[in-house]
Amino acid sequence: MSAFQLAWKNISGNAFRNGVVSLCALLLSAFALFTTLVIRGAESSLRLTIDRLGADIVVVPEGSEAKIESALLMGIPARFWMPEDHVNKLAAIPGVDVVSPQLYLATLTGADCCSVSDMFMIAYDPSSDFTIQPWLEEELGNGLRVGEVVGGNYISATEGEQNIKVYGYLVTLKENLEPTGTGLDQTMFLTFDTAYDIASKSAVQAESQLVIPPDSISAALIKVKPGSDPQEVALQIIQKVPGVTPIESSDLFQSYRKQMTGLLRSILVILSVTWGLSVVLIGLVFSMAANERRKELGVLRALGATRRFVFRSLLAEASLLAFFGGVTGLAVASMAIFLFRKLIMVSLEIPFLLPSPVSLLLQIGAGLLLALFSVNLAALLPAFKISRQDPAVAMRE
Amino acid sequence: MNKTMGILMIALALTIAIVPLFTDCLANGRTLTTADGRSVPMKCHWTALAEIGLAVPLALIGIFNLTSKRKETFRTLNVISIALGALVVLFPTVLIGVCANASMPCNLIEKPLLILSGILVMGASLVTLASTRNFIEPVAA
Repeated sequence: MSAFQLAWKNISGNAFRNGVVSLCALLLSAFALFTTLVIRGAESSLRLTIDRLGADIVVVPEGSEAKIESALLMGIPARFWMPEDHVNKLAAIPGVDVVSPQLYLATLTGADCCSVSDMFMIAYDPSSDFTIQPWLEEELGNGLRVGEVVGGNYISATEGEQNIKVYGYLVTLKENLEPTGTGLDQTMFLTFDTAYDIASKSAVQAESQLVIPPDSISAALIKVKPGSDPQEVALQIIQKVPGVTPIESSDLFQSYRKQMTGLLRSILVILSVTWGLSVVLIGLVFSMAANERRKELGVLRALGATRRFVFRSLLAEASLLAFFGGVTGLAVASMAIFLFRKLIMVSLEIPFLLPSPVSLLLQIGAGLLLALFSVNLAALLPAFKISRQDPAVAMRE
Repeated sequence: MNKTMGILMIALALTIAIVPLFTDCLANGRTLTTADGRSVPMKCHWTALAEIGLAVPLALIGIFNLTSKRKETFRTLNVISIALGALVVLFPTVLIGVCANASMPCNLIEKPLLILSGILVMGASLVTLASTRNFIEPVAA
């Protein structure tokens, strides 16, 4: 009989030890995978949102920096305005290649049956846009006409229809964007013409009118000329256009990044404490179980089993328990992350994107290795002590 | 093992029966207004009610898993509970469904919870089935 076969037979005989060790491995691996997936998912989501935005600098009215971050990341509707003639002032700054204005709007909250609730809407100018328009031309072959919209990944029309009622105005959903795990997934994109059309008809058709202040925009996206330094351009914007704040794409979502760094630190502390306590608990349980089996292991030694064989069979038992607990924990954590990702985003107020299958498998493998390493580390000392005992003394006790 | 799985099955049955009633859109004050002005519950509420019909037999299976001593009983009950677990998953996804808007409360909690519970019911039933392979029935006195 091999050490593995002996271990397999032994683990069916001690329900308490099996339960505690497997549960520790389950909790450890599940917690490690869950936290890694959440932190990495938030990181990749932020990166994708900045890429999707495609702008080197975002110019917003002074004091609106936090609002735009919340709108883009969490889909919390934001409304702020600055004069439209800022576009010309920004375009005149050396180093600026393209300036594209945007309007930030929101649907009605809790309106009647067919309307969507509290959705962030971004209206763009097709003549200057460099974020949505190129993607639309690639996907649809042309831009959006009046009354047509594209939605983030979560935007859907009523089943069997393609229309969504916004301020009593029926817009046609033409396409959905790929998921980003951020507020962009629950954002609707439309042209300036559609936005002004909705606003003009909402006075008659909607419970409450959509108001767009005349000659105003919410933000301006800037692409700098190749070779120009975005930081230098941002400094010039501060000097030449009063009342606005330029946010470089590298500085975008700084408050969320700080929040995530804080979250990461807390999680690392909790994970370290959980790991330490689990190792101590597993070590104690293994010591108790090994002491209970002193006679049995003494008989095994007296029958000719070597110290090495006893030591290996005890570690094989630990590995088997760690494997079963770890696999269960990793499966539950993966399922929970996949099914509850939206709830995690809403309750932790962080963006989140699921990893690729390869990355997920690598992280599951790392979680399983952590469970195996921890349980074997905890079982090492009791297994070493019990395997070195004298068989004659062990059988007499 | 069968007793542990029986307790788990009862806990899952209670979760399936109770939690959806508090996490559907009706419980969160959201209803559908018909053309004649009436407010009617959305389909996530009907899913929550249908799940009660599945939770009751699942709870009974859990109780029988705790009390039964016959191999054949375990087998029959757990084959039925696998089918019931599949239905727990199918009601919110295919057969009835929940609301279309992904940010609605039913999509945040009710649907994922029912899918997870259904999968766990099927997993617990499979484990019980596997553990009854070497089950030795007690000899009658």
